[in-house]
Amino acid sequence: MRKLLRNRRGVTPVLSSLLLTVIAVAGMSIAITATYVITDQLHDSMGERLIVEDVWFTPGQVSLYLRNVGKVSVEVVSVYVNRTDQSVTALELEEGSHGWLHASYSWSADSVYEIKVVTMRGTNVADYYVSPS
Amino acid sequence: MFRRLRRDRRGISNVIVVVLSLVIILAIVSNVVLWNYDMNQVDWEKMRENVTITGVTNANYGSQYNFKNEGGLTVHLVSLWINNSTLHQHYNINVFVNSAETKTYLSEDIPYPTGSYTIKVVTERGNMAVYSGS
Repeated sequence: MRKLLRNRRGVTPVLSSLLLTVIAVAGMSIAITATYVITDQLHDSMGERLIVEDVWFTPGQVSLYLRNVGKVSVEVVSVYVNRTDQSVTALELEEGSHGWLHASYSWSADSVYEIKVVTMRGTNVADYYVSPS
Repeated sequence: MFRRLRRDRRGISNVIVVVLSLVIILAIVSNVVLWNYDMNQVDWEKMRENVTITGVTNANYGSQYNFKNEGGLTVHLVSLWINNSTLHQHYNINVFVNSAETKTYLSEDIPYPTGSYTIKVVTERGNMAVYSGS
């Protein structure tokens, strides 16, 4: 036993093999994690579908009723009225859910507005709406 | 020849690296392609939907709506809107209309709109049908 402990021959190959194994395992872990992250992001952004069910012009405000018709949850983060970013509270919609999103905006009667809704992942839905007289 | 090949271990690591890389690439591509196919199917089904509101009538209690499915797929109506100049009222509904079928939906909870109004129904796939009346 003592002889074995004193004998240091062959230690370097063992250490190098061990180190190489650790490096290989770490490399594969990084590659697999990157694969998972890339496909997951692609998967989510491809699965987003959002519709604007209704647009309601009320004094000093434009309200949008949104429905998530996609296969992943969405988070609506921006609303653009005539290409100008409006301040909104982010709205998170689970698959199949729906809700109001209110944007403060001083609109004029009988005018056409381009309203664009943008999600966190970059999906956008845009259309033209006429304000009431 | 085969014995020599079996004994010769040079280049094995390269082969392993290539195989593992191919596995990773295959995993990414297959996942993206399958999901893309799935979402194309969703879009294709949405394009095939065609539902119309053929009439809105006043019932003794509430209101009555006639929906006609002119598309090739069964539609699931999930949302009904009654809009006028002062109010946009939303109602959750749960109506299935088969292909080529006309369905009457009677609701005691939804009052018959007065004055000039617009009725809108939304399908689960994200299509809409609009009806205007007064």
